[in-house]
Amino acid sequence: MPQFDPAYWFPQLAWLGAIFAVLYFAVVRPTLPKVSRVIDERESRVAGDLDAAEAAKASADSIRTAYDSGMAEARTAAQAEVAKARETAARAVEARMKDVGGRLDAQAATAAASLDAARGQARAGLAATAAELTAEAVTRLIGVAPAPQEVEAALAARK
Amino acid sequence: MANPMEQFAIERMGEPMAVGGMDVSFTNSALWMLIALALVSAFLFIGTARPQLVPGRAQAAVELVYDFIRDMLRENVGKEGLRYAPLIFALFVFVLACNLLGLIPFIGAFTPTSHIAVTFGLAAIVFVLVVIVGFARHGLHFFSLFLPEGTPIFVAPLVAGIEFVSFLSRPFTLAIRLFANMTAGHVLLKVFGGFVVLLGSFESVPYLFGIIPLGVNVALSALELLIAVVQAYVFALLASIYLNDAVNLH
Repeated sequence: MPQFDPAYWFPQLAWLGAIFAVLYFAVVRPTLPKVSRVIDERESRVAGDLDAAEAAKASADSIRTAYDSGMAEARTAAQAEVAKARETAARAVEARMKDVGGRLDAQAATAAASLDAARGQARAGLAATAAELTAEAVTRLIGVAPAPQEVEAALAARK
Repeated sequence: MANPMEQFAIERMGEPMAVGGMDVSFTNSALWMLIALALVSAFLFIGTARPQLVPGRAQAAVELVYDFIRDMLRENVGKEGLRYAPLIFALFVFVLACNLLGLIPFIGAFTPTSHIAVTFGLAAIVFVLVVIVGFARHGLHFFSLFLPEGTPIFVAPLVAGIEFVSFLSRPFTLAIRLFANMTAGHVLLKVFGGFVVLLGSFESVPYLFGIIPLGVNVALSALELLIAVVQAYVFALLASIYLNDAVNLH
């Protein structure tokens, strides 16, 4: 086997040494760190992006929570406002009703009083007319004009 | 039948060269190592020409291999091991390129990693790295590597001896595993290739019987492709496991 012929060993070792030295120092050392840098940069970039995404998600979550709590607060406030408005309106209506009712009652009372007065007047008028008629009738019947006091007394007795 | 060992022959190309009296002639082995170097260089220079956050095809391919090496180191050595990723990467891609290039048919491809000198040279790089890292990180404490924790004192010399021998044998096992796998696979391919010619050249029934070894050779080629990748992986994996000893002791 040519492999075990020592005469070939040294030339191969010498060329291997030279070629491997070139490979390592002139090819691998200048080129590989570039790839290494890019890989590191990519890893840090990806990690940074992930962190940014996480932060964005956290802020979105907090905004969401704030929005929810704000909404709930606004809803309670609105409900309280509505209840208050309703109560105020009810109270106003009630007051108005009472006011209007009072006025109507007063008007009714006034009307009733004037009705009573009118009725009294009418009745008084009626009595006077009745007395006149009676006096007239008595005059025609007996030719004597009775005294007004007598007629009134007689009418009063008939009532 | 052609000699299946012929494919491993080292042939000088051009004039003999010598440095300080030592033969350093350019050979087919050196040529194919240069081709591997060119291939890896193209792979890396194209892949990292304009590094982008969202990688293109070439960059994604480089990143795939690099991530593979980094994961292996992270798993076997820990975060500290990532510092040696470029060297393990270089070993892996170089072994892989040599293994795969040698499988190309028709063009007279030569597999540098089927030679023990080359695999031993690569294993020696790992061994020297482990020793340097070990002493640099732990000083003389690095010798405690040879005495696993909890060893009873009366067997300590024996255990230390065994551990020391096993430590010294690492570059050899690393080298021989790769060389033997590559050599055996290529010999097998050539032997069955010889059978194709032998069995297919009966004068009465030409070609017919050559089909069976041809089929075997197709299957073997797929297997060799797998072995080429697996052995490069095993080489890098063992290198990182040995590195773990140097970085973390036990």
